[in-house]
Amino acid sequence: MSAAPFPNTARVDAFDKVRGAARYGADRSPPGMLHAALATATIGKGRIESIDTSAARAVPGVRLVLTHEDLASEIKPAGYLMAGGYASNGLQPMIAPEIAWRGQPIAIVVADTLPAAIEAAALVRASFAVEPIAVELSAEGTQTVVQSESQLPKPMYEDIVAGDADKAFAEAAVQVDAVFTTPAQHQNPIELVGTVAEWKDGTLIIHEGTQNAEAMRHGLARQLGLTPEQVQIVSPYCGGGFGQKNSLQIYTPLAAVAARRVDRPVKLVVPRAAVFHNSSFRPASRHRFRLGADKSGKLIAAIHETDSQSSRHDLFPTLYAETTGHMYAIDNFRGRERLVRTDTQAPGYMRAPFEHVAAFTMESCIDEMAYALGKDPVALRLANDAYADPISKKPFSSRHLAECLTRGAAMFGWDKRQMAPGSMRAPDGTQIGWGVAAGSYKAATAPAIARLTLTDQGRAIINVGVHEMGQGIRTALSNVVAAKLGIAPELVEAEIGVTGASPQHLTAGSWGTATAVPAASEAADAMLKALAELGQSDAAGRKPAELLKAAGRPSLSVEIRRKAPGHPDQIFGRLASGLPSAMGPAYPEYVSFSYIAHFVEVRIEPGTRRIRVPRVVSVVDCGRVVSPRTATSQVQGGVVWGIGAALREASEVDPRFGGFLNADIAEYVVPVNADIGSIEVGFIDKPDPRLNEVGVKGLGEVVMVGVAPAIANAIFHATGKRLRDLPIRIEHVLDKGDL
Amino acid sequence: MEDQQPRPPAHRFGGELTRREVVAAAGAVPLAAMLPTAAAAQSHLAGRTGHNEATVTVRTVINGTPRHLELDPRASLLDVLREQLALTGAKKGCDHGQCGACTVHIDGRRVVSCLTPAVQTDGAEVTTIEGIAPDDQLHPMQQAFIDHDALQCGYCTPGQIMAAIACVQEGHATSREQIREYMSGNICRCGAYVGIVAAIEDAAPKMRRA
Ligand code: FES
Ligand code: FES
Repeated sequence: MSAAPFPNTARVDAFDKVRGAARYGADRSPPGMLHAALATATIGKGRIESIDTSAARAVPGVRLVLTHEDLASEIKPAGYLMAGGYASNGLQPMIAPEIAWRGQPIAIVVADTLPAAIEAAALVRASFAVEPIAVELSAEGTQTVVQSESQLPKPMYEDIVAGDADKAFAEAAVQVDAVFTTPAQHQNPIELVGTVAEWKDGTLIIHEGTQNAEAMRHGLARQLGLTPEQVQIVSPYCGGGFGQKNSLQIYTPLAAVAARRVDRPVKLVVPRAAVFHNSSFRPASRHRFRLGADKSGKLIAAIHETDSQSSRHDLFPTLYAETTGHMYAIDNFRGRERLVRTDTQAPGYMRAPFEHVAAFTMESCIDEMAYALGKDPVALRLANDAYADPISKKPFSSRHLAECLTRGAAMFGWDKRQMAPGSMRAPDGTQIGWGVAAGSYKAATAPAIARLTLTDQGRAIINVGVHEMGQGIRTALSNVVAAKLGIAPELVEAEIGVTGASPQHLTAGSWGTATAVPAASEAADAMLKALAELGQSDAAGRKPAELLKAAGRPSLSVEIRRKAPGHPDQIFGRLASGLPSAMGPAYPEYVSFSYIAHFVEVRIEPGTRRIRVPRVVSVVDCGRVVSPRTATSQVQGGVVWGIGAALREASEVDPRFGGFLNADIAEYVVPVNADIGSIEVGFIDKPDPRLNEVGVKGLGEVVMVGVAPAIANAIFHATGKRLRDLPIRIEHVLDKGDL
Repeated sequence: MEDQQPRPPAHRFGGELTRREVVAAAGAVPLAAMLPTAAAAQSHLAGRTGHNEATVTVRTVINGTPRHLELDPRASLLDVLREQLALTGAKKGCDHGQCGACTVHIDGRRVVSCLTPAVQTDGAEVTTIEGIAPDDQLHPMQQAFIDHDALQCGYCTPGQIMAAIACVQEGHATSREQIREYMSGNICRCGAYVGIVAAIEDAAPKMRRA
């Protein structure tokens, strides 16, 4: 059982990773492989009138150039991930002359060498008929869709309502009413999108880092007229996903078709500028948040209204109020979400997609309310802690937010904080601010099939649907299987990210661990039972391998299926067809979230007004911690993401010509080592046995939620400035006298 | 990402520089100016007129093994390592010298191999992540990265380790602040910076003893 905490073991794949021996998608170079490069559209929207590939074809070493004129009948759309399909865009480029966004591919070139392919791609010339564009949230020509009135499935995308929020807010003694904006951002995993496509006897084999091998498989089958059995996806390691690699990307079928045409393996590594324009991104958004309290400090009403960027061709649905509506004991809540169609590729999920943004709005307002009431911001949150879900009135499966706040406050030394803004200064004039904010993230669960094989040599192989993208799932799987079977974690091998055996469901939304680990645990139980049935006397105290040997069995395999509470049995059909099948936060009997509290110190230098974050303390309630070492790293990484989101990251758009202007990893500024100071991590580590037997919730996303408002609140504490537009930069903390 | 300070580039180093080192550092200087021999310069020019068969012969030592390479003058060292020599430890994260995932050592100094024309390694020694320790052993920096979990997805890790070893050898690992500054040419999007700093602090004295 899950009673004992798990030991602090090393990351099981670290040995390969530090030697450069872990194999990522584009590390593959099969014999005879050719290289591909893309030419992209230089307009924001319109139509290709003519395309000239003769100069490209003339480059020595070029074998093939394909445009929409070649592919119209060869590739079908795979459908949009959020509309019953498999792809990050429902619109597949290069099967029609229409251009829907700047940077959309218009040709793929295949050559003997990469330099030749790059040189040739740059020589593809097209002339376009240009149409007007709208790429900003407030631009003329956008189209606004009220989500609750749209075709999107209900009740999933209904407004979230409890009580009468408008009336309660109007009557509230203390009111906060604020508007926030957050920019478009790109996930920017360091691994570029890279694919190696090979055909073997009519079967397509794709090596590419992904969070969703099963969707790639089924999507490519649909696109190329194959059966799913004719497609194999190999992605044992993903060099960072963060939502970007959650579905079939538009480039992969292009590489697949090119490989079929030249009858050779083809590698396509997509340059980062093209990834900025053709993979997903976090949409720009605008929020009005209203919060009302009575004089005693009881929160009585909250209203959260959002506008979020979408694309012209696919509606990216949003769930901002799912975070704010369930967070505190507020009886009157109303959320209303609108989607604004713009001329871009479809936006999508980026780590804590709605939750980071929603927490920025709500947790900033809570801080403002604390100051309006003259109450300590930690105390105000504790006073409004929820004991049941305020929307559904169901209980929480577990909730230790209060303990996150109190333990975090103690670790940080919060009691030494002086409440008044601008009251803490270093001798050199540096303004010091201490801020706090909380975060939550749904604890979701996907169905899974787990196969466990044990050999008489003592090795255990666990095959289950999940992808390793750095979160440490291999280590968590090893730990849980090893603990159950009583063997060393090094003896457990995880077969994940490769299609063919168990379905490789999308790993996202922080459900990976709560999906794969309980399934692996149940498989281990089944294995123990199967071993017992071997009928060996004196089985007690003997290693599984000894039992197998004694029974003359070289190996033994078991398989289990596991679904979330409330999932119908048909969910396994959905799972098998590569469609997202996760459930949560609402389950039949309860509502489940992970929680976190972040405490942040900012320092604003007197001369430069540079904002630094020397110190963060974060305490998490993610249920049972299955892999303490990798979990700690994940919290630290999430905090780094929050610092980036609060102070640095914005994808700048060009309102005249479309596209993103800072489409590389130097101009799109992410945190580097010198931006990060101390990040101290605490875990509540209390299992949530209602949710699953191991007691795990989720971790990878909640860790980012609340960092940005904690920083904004700390900046308020340092300067007295309430800043509501992200990212917060030097120019926002300048005083008149500084100019 | 310091707003006020330039990133310490992967190629910043003190002391006297040879011409090759300057070239290694700048990466983008005109190719003809750096080619070691007149013959090579000619085949380079031939390459530019469209005969891609034109290659440049380069003698280099890679991970201790002398190599005789026929190279496309357009090819970066990163692409040659990965695509021609099956040394895939060095990763491509940007191809623009912005992320550090491709960091290798040339004559003991860290360079971003994506901005280093492969032909420029003529007469030089190249060390990649595959060459810093004998097969069955780990370099103290590799062990420290494991011990401090200084990685997550692992994609930036070979570049981080190559930069970290150089950082220690340059004498830039004497304090946390200094490590942070001199490791800021290597982006880790997973955000493993706390572990990376701890690993370098741990490995530095061990490297000095070794
Ligand atoms: S790939 Fe060379 S610095 Fe990014
Ligand atoms: S470990 Fe993933 S980018 Fe550094």
